Amino acid sequence: MSTILYHGEPNGPSLAVLAALGESGLDIECQPIDLLAGERHRLPGVTEPVARDMGVEGEGPVLVIDGEAMTESVFIAQYLDETGANTLQPRDAYAHWQMLMWCRRITERCAPAAAFLGCKAQAHAVLSAMDETPWGDVLAAIASEDLRGRWSAVRTGDFPEAPLTDSANKVADAVAMVEQQLADGRDWLMGDLTVADFETYGWLAGMPALLPAAFAASPRTAAWLDRVRTRPSVQAALARAATVNPEAAWAPGPEINRWG
Amino acid sequence: MAEVTLYHWEPNANSGKPMLALMEKGVAFDSHYIDMLNFEQHRPEYLAINPQGTIPAMTYGDRVLVESTAIMEYVNEQFAGPDLMPGDARDRWRIRWWMKFMDQWLAPSFSMFGWKYFVGPNALAAHGQEKIEAQIARIPLPERQTAWRKAVFGLFSEAEMAESGRRIAVGIEMLERELGKREWLASDHYSLADVNGFNLAYALPLSQPHLSNDDLTPNIMRWLRAIYRRPATQACWKLGRTPMASRVAILEQDYIPPRAEAEGIVSGVR
Ligand SMILES: N[C@@H](CCC(=O)N[C@@H](CS)C(=O)NCC(=O)O)C(=O)O
Repeated sequence: MSTILYHGEPNGPSLAVLAALGESGLDIECQPIDLLAGERHRLPGVTEPVARDMGVEGEGPVLVIDGEAMTESVFIAQYLDETGANTLQPRDAYAHWQMLMWCRRITERCAPAAAFLGCKAQAHAVLSAMDETPWGDVLAAIASEDLRGRWSAVRTGDFPEAPLTDSANKVADAVAMVEQQLADGRDWLMGDLTVADFETYGWLAGMPALLPAAFAASPRTAAWLDRVRTRPSVQAALARAATVNPEAAWAPGPEINRWG
Repeated sequence: MAEVTLYHWEPNANSGKPMLALMEKGVAFDSHYIDMLNFEQHRPEYLAINPQGTIPAMTYGDRVLVESTAIMEYVNEQFAGPDLMPGDARDRWRIRWWMKFMDQWLAPSFSMFGWKYFVGPNALAAHGQEKIEAQIARIPLPERQTAWRKAVFGLFSEAEMAESGRRIAVGIEMLERELGKREWLASDHYSLADVNGFNLAYALPLSQPHLSNDDLTPNIMRWLRAIYRRPATQACWKLGRTPMASRVAILEQDYIPPRAEAEGIVSGVR
């Protein structure tokens, strides 16, 4: 069985999956790719590309097993956990439902918002500096029309006021949700350490730099961010960084809900 | 009285997912029909159960569960009965991927058509403009208020409808290709992905007759008919009360030829 995990800078969904891999104890080859150069869309040996091409997450990590591209960070993390140490998901069905609901809340509402703000702050400069020819090659390699549209918006700097405000609110909501969840003094979001901690951390780690006010009155969240950051699996993931500040590295993410 | 109560509308889309999953598992439940077109989901009795005012919701003892796909996963894990998730971890990943793709990318496009052509006009005809405005003002979630307003007053933009139409066509092609690879959606086992997918796709040959039929999408048709024949599906769709659910009977036809796009819109809910 040939297995390779292709990941971007350890931030966002790439960080979540690298951390879950660390916790799983599995020995899987990891290959860094340059997301903003479009490398995710030109991976070698992919014979089943549908999940890479049409995934909701946007530029997340890709686990390629025997040619099948696997995407969506929460589900890759579940896969790694279930094939490996099996410690990152509650056994009880109700607690498991709570974890899935939490992750869905983060991926559906917080992730598009964080990616939008992050892309404005960082990816826009990179993509707008790109020459026409390599840019054309990147676009040509992206199969999904709506993902292509999100890339173009980042390059041209199309970040309207309304979604910017909405995104800042959604990130603040996620922080409030974390703060509330930790109110009983627990260390981890679900009680025990789960996929939810890594998924949430991945999307929030870069946000204090962009939205300090959202974190100002959230001491429990700050302590939790530190706890996750110092976890050996996260440290090992961060050690793979190619840049000094991986938390500032972004790429086009999930779309903001079309229904408003 | 059963310990499980499911609050649901028609066997269709989000409501139909946990209904069919419970029936496949053989879990007895009290079926509590919420008449969505009569805004029963925003009444105080229901808001006491799910303050978000959306359906479906399930109670089990003193626990309240929401979010249709997550409810199905809970039902599968909590109760005895046939396992609706396969033993192989990569199959489970594929099933989860397809459910997310359907829930968040494909289904909202279908429902934009359903709300524009069925939910909105029917609710408006039943209540009249003034009463509807008041009903909409009482909806707890802002995004559901937007959806109702757009549906009732025909405010979906052309660009929005065109994008939903594009996604429906792409999604049908993807489903057809995927179902050509294996007997069931995303694995060789009947699973939650099939329960989810059937709720999205059962009326395709009626609502998208130019895109899905026995000539163009034989794998989708084989798959829909196989699910339609299952006893749980038969029992589930009997709980429907509107013309929406009765569309499922089209799957009794052995051969469904291509028809013009316009016939899909006339046929009720596109
Ligand atoms: N993601 C949720 C969506 C629930 C939802 O929005 N349901 C719609 C019907 S499919 C609803 O309750 N609409 C009632 C309303 O808008 O008033 C799920 O899958 O359960």
